[in-house]
Amino acid sequence: MNSIFLSRLLRLILLLLFQVMVFNHIHLFGYITPLVIGYMVVCMHRNTSRTEILIWGFVIGLIFDMFSNTAGMAAGSCTLIAMIQPVLLNMLAPRDSADDLTPSFHTLGFWNYIFYVLLLMLVLHGLFYLLDAFTLANFLLTLISIIGSTVLSTLIIVIMEFLIRPRKGAMYHM
Amino acid sequence: MRALIDLIIHNKHWFVFLLLEVISLVFLFSYNGYQKSVYFTTANDVVGSAYNVISGITSYLHLQEENHELETANEQLRKEVLEMRQQLAIMGQDSIKRLPELPLQYNVLSAQVVNMTLHKANNLITINKGEADGVRPEMGVICSKGVVGIVYMTSRHYSIVMPLLNVNSKVSCRLRNSEYFGSLVWQRGYANISYVTSIPRHAAVKVHDIVETNGFSDIFPPGLPIGVVQKIGDSPDGMSYYLRVKLYTYFPTLREVSVITNYHSPERRMLEGLTDDFTKQDSVLTYQDKIKEQEELRKKSDEKKNEKERLELEKIKQQLEKEYSASMVSSTTFNADNASTDTVK
Repeated sequence: MNSIFLSRLLRLILLLLFQVMVFNHIHLFGYITPLVIGYMVVCMHRNTSRTEILIWGFVIGLIFDMFSNTAGMAAGSCTLIAMIQPVLLNMLAPRDSADDLTPSFHTLGFWNYIFYVLLLMLVLHGLFYLLDAFTLANFLLTLISIIGSTVLSTLIIVIMEFLIRPRKGAMYHM
Repeated sequence: MRALIDLIIHNKHWFVFLLLEVISLVFLFSYNGYQKSVYFTTANDVVGSAYNVISGITSYLHLQEENHELETANEQLRKEVLEMRQQLAIMGQDSIKRLPELPLQYNVLSAQVVNMTLHKANNLITINKGEADGVRPEMGVICSKGVVGIVYMTSRHYSIVMPLLNVNSKVSCRLRNSEYFGSLVWQRGYANISYVTSIPRHAAVKVHDIVETNGFSDIFPPGLPIGVVQKIGDSPDGMSYYLRVKLYTYFPTLREVSVITNYHSPERRMLEGLTDDFTKQDSVLTYQDKIKEQEELRKKSDEKKNEKERLELEKIKQQLEKEYSASMVSSTTFNADNASTDTVK
């Protein structure tokens, strides 16, 4: 029960509350619903064990599924991005950075961070909406959902990041 | 061996990844038609009660609208009561005796919506009545304006309803004042637009015609309003109409619904189940067996009846015989008397 675990648990509960009570009710143009729960995986710091990231991602996805009747869809998608996240973070981190680097604007650089979030969100929403539709008929609609939701989620996560870590060097794990 | 164990320990995240993905996919695929998965959905009691609290808070937001709706409904009902009273007064003077009242064909149970999605391909509604209140799968759900959907699965205190706004929902319907029937399907997109397929081309359809249930499915009684025809189009194969229907039920503000609890007749269901199995040889046998069984039962009951009747008849017979013998005795004594008198004479 160390402090990192507790702060992650708090983050999980807060993200789920926001997702279920606010973001699940956004249906921009009828198709676009952001999945902000992906932020759980996005802000895992660098030398976290990969198994741990996977389990956190799976748990948040599973609880989200219970609340929105999407059995297994979000759990599968979150697990997939949890698998990709460490690889992507290693690729984008500057060469002389700290071992336990927390991904943010200050550590990765502005555009690198946006690219990092965008890519993870694209994979998350891509798998989620493909599993939701489960057909390639009407693929254009699915594609609109995927791209729109990806952009919207990225925007929300970037704004959240700005609000949580406004100053350079603020390094709490939230 | 050691190398293998090293490999497994070194790459254990891959195994965890595969395990978790398999678990999610199992959830995903077993969700349909697998009743146990109700624990992983909003019908779960914990999640359901959480939603109950949330909807208790948010229901205040719609109070004004709801009030307005209720008021209009009240007004209409009052008007109806007055009309009915008038009618009753007229009917009361009639000298013809009316038939005794038939039992109502269906009961309704009112319930509140506690969760709902509108913009996915498979939208579902959660309501706060379940098996404990008598709700079972495949019961019809309606609201004050029209049809809502069909109960899909139930837990003790909550049920999931498949609304008309679900790509898998298919409700059989007809046009009011016409015998042509079709089926109502939904396409992802608008929350108040549905489509009616397979209405034949020679049917006379007009815009603003009312679409209603036709009672084929024994889920809804016939004549419940569904929506109004908005646009008349042709189906892709050109053999039938493809009607765009504006639904009466406005799903985004839906809160109060009613479940039709006893319209579903088990007898009809059993009969249709029998014909479903009819194609299989052994089920034909069981079918014939069933008929035989029923016949035997009937025979037995007939025999019992016959026995009873026979017993009764015999009783009557005995009684008659007693009376008869008594009268015989009296008559013989009478005769004897006569004889005696004769002899006296």
